[in-house]
Amino acid sequence: MFSLRAGAHLSEIPPSVSIGLQAEVTFAKLLATSSVLCTVKHHLLLFFSVALVVPHVRGEQPILFPHSTHINKVHLKCIDCHISADTSDAATIPGVRKCMLCHAKVATDKPEIKKLAAIAASGREIPWQRIYGFEKGAAVKFRHGPHARHKVPCATCHGDMPNAITAQPLVKHNMGTCITCHRQNNASDDCATCHY
Amino acid sequence: MATGNPVKPHRWGMVIDLDRCTGCEACVVACHAENNIGMSDPEEAARGRVNHWIRVDRYYEGEFPDVKVKYQPVLCQHCDEAPCEPVCPVNATYHNPEGLNVQVYNRCVGTFYCANNCPYTVRSFNWFDPKWPEPMQLQHNPDVSIRPGGVMEKCTFCIQKIKRVEEQAHAGSRPVADGEVQPACVQSCPAEAMVFGDLNDPDSKVSRFAGDGRATKLMEELGTKPKVIYLEKAR
Repeated sequence: MFSLRAGAHLSEIPPSVSIGLQAEVTFAKLLATSSVLCTVKHHLLLFFSVALVVPHVRGEQPILFPHSTHINKVHLKCIDCHISADTSDAATIPGVRKCMLCHAKVATDKPEIKKLAAIAASGREIPWQRIYGFEKGAAVKFRHGPHARHKVPCATCHGDMPNAITAQPLVKHNMGTCITCHRQNNASDDCATCHY
Repeated sequence: MATGNPVKPHRWGMVIDLDRCTGCEACVVACHAENNIGMSDPEEAARGRVNHWIRVDRYYEGEFPDVKVKYQPVLCQHCDEAPCEPVCPVNATYHNPEGLNVQVYNRCVGTFYCANNCPYTVRSFNWFDPKWPEPMQLQHNPDVSIRPGGVMEKCTFCIQKIKRVEEQAHAGSRPVADGEVQPACVQSCPAEAMVFGDLNDPDSKVSRFAGDGRATKLMEELGTKPKVIYLEKAR
């Protein structure tokens, strides 16, 4: 019952899950004593192996994706992966299948790529952690598209990503950052431009 | 870098033809869905704690069975001389360059002065954090923020739709076409009783209707200069 997931320790599991888990384990032990109910026990094991995914700490990315390598060595542009950044509201994060277009063949022996391949094989997406966002109640609507059309460089808001490893908030944003830039570039500073 | 401001700003307005309105309230439903407006319990609604950005007023004339009914959709009139604006102590409501009466939710501290001063009673207050019966919380519009409790809110003329159309027009280096912006109420009206457009453009549909002989404004005598124009029922 304790080989639930490779590398998962009870200490990592949030208390709420862990209490539920101990109760279920006792129940499972009871079930295991009866050979008649062995199929039920098997189902329980299956259930645990699927349901117990330890959440990542905010900001800690599931894969050490090196932005620097992809930009400097492979010469990819931001827009090659964040394909909607110039036209749409959200810049978007590519799906795991996009990664596998190259990494099905490239650098397959590296540990991080093995992790990636495992996720791709499982048919799930990489659980990337969100690093930018607005506070609850900020009532702000940000759209990438208009900023890209006005030729605002990605680095203005996202910092020196060509030399960064995983996604991290290199630039601290607040309303002052936005307003200063808007005023310097003669863009609208009407409240309703962003707050609605 | 190019400026985001057009040379001649739009002045958004609406025309509602009362001869066409059947009082079906599709506009009310569409407005709720588009703008993430919360729903009240029947008990709270009975106390007047309801949120609607648009309502349909009914006027009855005559005795049954010879009754004539007039339906009148009433939304924020986006007055040029808006009585709600000067009374706000925190400047949460103001006029933007496109003539919209805007409510900034972050600034609002819920004094209720604006709603008390609105002759059309079209402002609605979030008495509580908004809630929706399951599973309607899944259909929220991501383009509109969800207002917390204690904040006043009102019709925005679907500013999120205006912004989107303006951005699309800008991306295509063309002006916004007449009728391209359709707020949820206009879009959903089966009788096409509502028309939305730029009052600064003399050729727009709203400008032409605004010059119609049937055109009136609600409580015009108060000097609020509303930008919603009603076409009275033909006699």
